[in-house]
Order: sequence, then structure tokens, then C-alpha cells
Amino acid sequence: MSKIKVKAKLKGGMLKVKAMAKHEMSTYNIAEKKTGNRDNANFITHISATINGETVWDMSTSQFLSKNPIFKFNLKGIGAKGDKVVMVAVDRKGNTLKGKGKIK
Amino acid sequence: MKRREFLSMTVGALALAVVPASVKAEDFRKSKPAVWSAKTVDDAIKALYGTNELTMSNVKLITAKVPSDSPKKAVASNGGAIPVDFSVSVPAKTVSVYQDSNPEAAVCVIDVTKYDTMNYSIKIKMAKSGTITVVAEGTDGKLYAAKQTLDVALGGCEG
Repeated sequence: MSKIKVKAKLKGGMLKVKAMAKHEMSTYNIAEKKTGNRDNANFITHISATINGETVWDMSTSQFLSKNPIFKFNLKGIGAKGDKVVMVAVDRKGNTLKGKGKIK
Repeated sequence: MKRREFLSMTVGALALAVVPASVKAEDFRKSKPAVWSAKTVDDAIKALYGTNELTMSNVKLITAKVPSDSPKKAVASNGGAIPVDFSVSVPAKTVSVYQDSNPEAAVCVIDVTKYDTMNYSIKIKMAKSGTITVVAEGTDGKLYAAKQTLDVALGGCEG
């Protein structure tokens, strides 16, 4: 259900990765307003990218990323055309979001 | 053709060899819980790095459109998704983003890997106008930072 879209492009030795995670990213305030309980807030707390099993990018996040957050980052020295960029995110409720994209 | 095969094999072998060392990326929500509940930018930076002495250089921060008549202030029409582009030009261990218009200050902390060119773009939300701060912890131990104040026309945090 939940998913991350990943696009990766290799150009001039630079690997440009663009990812969009499908997630509501509700803050404590939104949760309190909508459900009356701050604890219903749910957002991605940690997201990372791996290529060939190696962690290449890693981010701990809070509730202030936008809804369906977009991440763009550039890598150098790793990845070849055809390799897959695998991204995994974990949210506050413990759900895991996964996605992968082939390097073009 | 053979050369190419050989090359790709070497890359594969190298990748396998490095795995054990680089897999242990740090989860800053577990290792530094105080950062995420800090109410002000200063407190959050202090909770993460132990100091909040910032050197205002080597970090480039670009947010939403900056009007030409007032270069100091940017305007975001939608507080629910404010594009934040930032890059760091010195070797750094971590890069973190804060803002001062939401109940808590911290937005994200990036654990920089050796492949990272430290050129990022993310989207964040802000409840009202405020200042975004990007801090990079240099490998020399100094904290480099950049700030950008922006007007938010429509708050993004109340849903």
C-alpha cells in the first residue's frame, strides 16, 4: 500500500536520486485536531537508501516534512547503470515503506 | 567486452567488502531523542551537537522564490510543501535542518555517507512565517550554518 517512488539517473559520474514517499505525515497538532489524541500522529521517522546492499544515504526525520515528502540527493562514486536504488522508510507506528528504482 | 565484465566484477566485490562498516547508519531519533522535542532551534542544535556556536559559511540554502526587491526574504505560497534546497561545500559528518515556526524545531538530520555530495532538496511544512536553519557538522568539528527567513502565506501544519 504505502510506497516510495524512486528515480535515479547517472550523468557524468554523478548519480541523481529523486524519491517520493507516499505518506500522510500528520503532525501531533493535526492528530489532536482530527482525532483528539496527539498520539495518533504518524510520520516517517527514518529513511535510507541502499545500493547493492550498502547504505548510501540516510536521514532521520520529524513531522515537519511535507505530506508525501520528496527527497532529492546526489551521490558520487557508487552505482552503475542497471543497479537498483532501494529505499526503506520507517514511520512512527512502525510501518515500513519500501521502494526501488533502477539507475538509468 | 571482457574488460567491462572485469570492471563490473571488481565493483561488485568492492561493494561487498565495504558493507559491514557502512551499514550501521545512525538513527538520530533513537540516539538523540532530545533533539526532536526541543522547542527552539538553539536548543535542538545544542541537543544534537552539544554546542550552538555557528559559523555562517560553507552552507548554501535556497528556499522558495526570493523576490528581487527584498533578497533577504523569501515567500512561500503554500506552507504545506516548501521546497528547501541546500548544499554543503566542506567535508561534513552530519547535516541537519531546523525551522522556528512549528511547535518543535528539528526537521531532519542526515547522516552523511562517503558517497554523498551533500546536495539536497526536500519539502517541508511550516505553520507560519519563520526562519529555516541548515547546520552542517564539519569533520573539523565546527558547525557551519545558513539561515533563510521566509513568509508563509498559508500555514501548512494545521491540516
